[in-house]
Amino acid sequence: MDLITLSLVVLVAMFLLSFVINRRRDQGCYVLNYECYKPSDDRKVSTQFCGDIIFRNPVLGMNEYRFALKAIVGSGIGEETYGPRSVLGGGEDYTPLAEARSELADALFNTLDRLFAKAGVSPSEIDILVVNISMFSSSPSPSAWVVNRYKMREDIKVFNLSGMGCSATLISMSLVQNLFKIHKNSLAVVLSTESIGPNWYVGNEKSMMLPNVLFRCGGAAVLLTNNPSLKHKAKFKVKLLLRTHLGSNPEAFQCVEQKEDQMGRRGIQLNKTLPKAATLAFIDNLKLLAPKILPLRELLRYSLTTFIHSKTRGDGSKSKPKPKPSVNFKTGVDHFCLHAGGTAVINGVGKSLGLSNYDVEPALMTLHRFGNTSSSSVWYVLGYMEAKKRLKKGDKVLMFTFGSGFKCNSCFLEVVRDLGDGNVWKECIETYPRDTLINPFTEKYKWVFEDKAPPANN
Amino acid sequence: MPPPPLPEFSNSVKLKYVKLGYQYLVNHFLIFLLIPVIAVVALEVVRQGPEELLRLWRSLQLDLVQILCSAFLIVFVSTVYFMKKPRSIYLVDYALYKPPVTCRVPFATFMEHSRLNMSETKSVDFQMRILERSGLGEETCLPPANHYIPPRISMEASREEAELVMFSAVDTLMKKTKTKPKDFDILIVNCSMFSPTPSLSAMIINKYKMRSNIRSYNLSGMGCSAGLISIDLARDLLQTHPNSLALVISLEVITPSYYQGNQRAMLLPNCLFRMGGAAILLSNRRRDQWRAKYNLVHVVRTHKGADDKAFRCVYEEEDQEGHKGVSLSKDLMAIAGEALKSNITTIGPLVLPASEQLLFLFTLIGRKLINPKWKPYIPDFKQAFEHFCIHAGGRAVIDELQKNLQLSAEHVEASRMTLHRFGNTSSSSLWYELNYIEAKGRMKKGSRVWQIAFGSGFKCNSAVWKCNRTVSGPGSDSPWSDCIHRYPVHIPDVLKL
Repeated sequence: MDLITLSLVVLVAMFLLSFVINRRRDQGCYVLNYECYKPSDDRKVSTQFCGDIIFRNPVLGMNEYRFALKAIVGSGIGEETYGPRSVLGGGEDYTPLAEARSELADALFNTLDRLFAKAGVSPSEIDILVVNISMFSSSPSPSAWVVNRYKMREDIKVFNLSGMGCSATLISMSLVQNLFKIHKNSLAVVLSTESIGPNWYVGNEKSMMLPNVLFRCGGAAVLLTNNPSLKHKAKFKVKLLLRTHLGSNPEAFQCVEQKEDQMGRRGIQLNKTLPKAATLAFIDNLKLLAPKILPLRELLRYSLTTFIHSKTRGDGSKSKPKPKPSVNFKTGVDHFCLHAGGTAVINGVGKSLGLSNYDVEPALMTLHRFGNTSSSSVWYVLGYMEAKKRLKKGDKVLMFTFGSGFKCNSCFLEVVRDLGDGNVWKECIETYPRDTLINPFTEKYKWVFEDKAPPANN
Repeated sequence: MPPPPLPEFSNSVKLKYVKLGYQYLVNHFLIFLLIPVIAVVALEVVRQGPEELLRLWRSLQLDLVQILCSAFLIVFVSTVYFMKKPRSIYLVDYALYKPPVTCRVPFATFMEHSRLNMSETKSVDFQMRILERSGLGEETCLPPANHYIPPRISMEASREEAELVMFSAVDTLMKKTKTKPKDFDILIVNCSMFSPTPSLSAMIINKYKMRSNIRSYNLSGMGCSAGLISIDLARDLLQTHPNSLALVISLEVITPSYYQGNQRAMLLPNCLFRMGGAAILLSNRRRDQWRAKYNLVHVVRTHKGADDKAFRCVYEEEDQEGHKGVSLSKDLMAIAGEALKSNITTIGPLVLPASEQLLFLFTLIGRKLINPKWKPYIPDFKQAFEHFCIHAGGRAVIDELQKNLQLSAEHVEASRMTLHRFGNTSSSSLWYELNYIEAKGRMKKGSRVWQIAFGSGFKCNSAVWKCNRTVSGPGSDSPWSDCIHRYPVHIPDVLKL
């Protein structure tokens, strides 16, 4: 072969090789680290205190007391959740803007400080920042507060999402994942928290009182990267993020709505159609999710059993109809990270997925220890699993969140290395799991359940 | 009497031609280099004659392997080139909200409402003085809730205003571009001061029954520059999702932001902010190339939040009486100028022709090495752009930018006239300005447009568009269609009320 041919062949080989290497070079999205917010202990809210807050509200009558107390007692929320300072101090009627800001700033800065320290990253290295706080909107935005406090770079890409509900953390991650495809070798931070104090409902509409019972202060900061050289330090690899929006369904759209009641008091109304909307959105999401994450044999098994079921159904025999076959998600997923929205939501999702007590334990314990911290709750659930040393290399984790609109978002993660950081659960993980429905309130407020009049000394 | 000295203008004319010649030479440098080479080769070819050339061709013995390899290389390299090229982003069209006549707030109405709503006459006088110097006209609009005395501010009213503005703009856009709601793949809504649950983006999905796998984002609190942040986000998303349509909605809901106190720094927004909104359709589909109005060339974002003064210069807070409002600091213009300088530092090299960049480089080197007293060279952006859309934040902003960028009155006419006719509509004002230029028939194919917006935080964002097809005049749906013939109007420095 003469020189020209040889050189041409070598050139072709080099190009092919470089092309292949370039494609294989991992530009995947990795969760380097995450940190959850732990407010100071003086902000702990016991059920006794919750009762006091309800009793001191002059517009509530006996029916409303019963409703709220029943909700608190049956909520699965424990004695150590954290409330906003404005409500704890007796100022739930009205929270000044400065107070609302400081509540959020405490959550954001506290958590970010710890995240930067843990990950060994400097704020000026951050290329993308996404902050999501659903029920707070002000100029400058919370994302600008973060840039100001940490003196981040001028060319940082900042986004401030708002109004997107409890599923906003996965929406933020989806945004980052998309940006990572364009911007190589970047670092991103996602901050999720919620503004509880200014949104405390002080009226007497029952459908608007539930958020007071369930929502508590919390937050999370997540550090993501697509830099392949940081792969070995990462905790998780984000394999799939799926978003489902049921806004086109009018009932689903209105099931969670922020509005003013007839007296002009603002609050979040949870309609009775919420469970149905959640189920519909959940099913829609699962339909798209299952083929992408489950192993082939499970999909084949499911298609086969469905086929057989549909053929044998038309028998006309008098025997009891066989239960419809369902997909076994546990074949492709090792850990389920469910949004700690409330015991009903967790148990409902658990039942539809065929999960055991072990699987729903992290979500129920998060609800008990921290309450419903809105969009950041899935990170507390993940933290519980990590503190319990359940997460081993190669394990698959599936996160589910629900949000107003109505949205159901899911995130499929793979654990990169064995994890065991105690994080925000460090001090109390030994005392879990507990029976979360035993509540010191139950004995004291038995009269609520028995529909009797309150005792004289109350 | 000695003869008058040589008139200044002939010197300047000579300089002008020198400058023109220099610009032409530098910008077309490659051509000047190639022409002699091509000439020499052509001469050589003609001299050799066709038979010589044929003999040369036959002597090149290439066997099959070599031919295949070469062909493969050519195909491969061109494929990789086309794949790596970032997708072109097209602005197919956009639609603007035209407020109804019933929402108009002439000066007399505004002042009457101020007198009845405000507790202190000092504040009323202050508002009058601002209005006199604001550059606003008599046809700007406020939402229905603000027409009541006192204004009927409620969540319901804010939602109604949002629905009115968004649905109107989106309906017009879908009709103009013949798209159906199920065609949208990406939805981004930005509204700074109002963010309900469910979000405004969820409201749009609900009203138009969009697909359940739509990628929606609701940005909030990001100020008047949020429109360009949304465009930047849409561009990045369109790069990762082939064959998609993105709907970007920029609006500001004025209802909840009416300031009812007496702090001077917080009274300004009442006088300037008015109702408006825009819906923009972006696409990366090749088939939209023919009908698109503009191509998106660059988006550059600059965030000055690290500087405390810049961070505090547009700040929402409560005054001592508990009234919420946005306070504007006195340093606003200086900070805007600084932010613009930072933004220009990034965008300059991307858009300026080589001649300007070289001049800037020489003056920079000269100032550093030879004499620091040389005046810094401000690149001539008129070389890079035919049209400028400066956010109509207020008269002072437009004046400041006109001075900084050395623009003529015609360049800033779109901004001033938009401020006059529509007021400060926040993030959508850039689109009203673009529409003004189109309505005046000045938008020709190949024109380059520079949109600059400022926002709280403090941010300065720019977008560069290139016109894809000549726009002949205002469309029937344009908010300028009934009044463009009256513009431009002369806006006096102080309009005595």
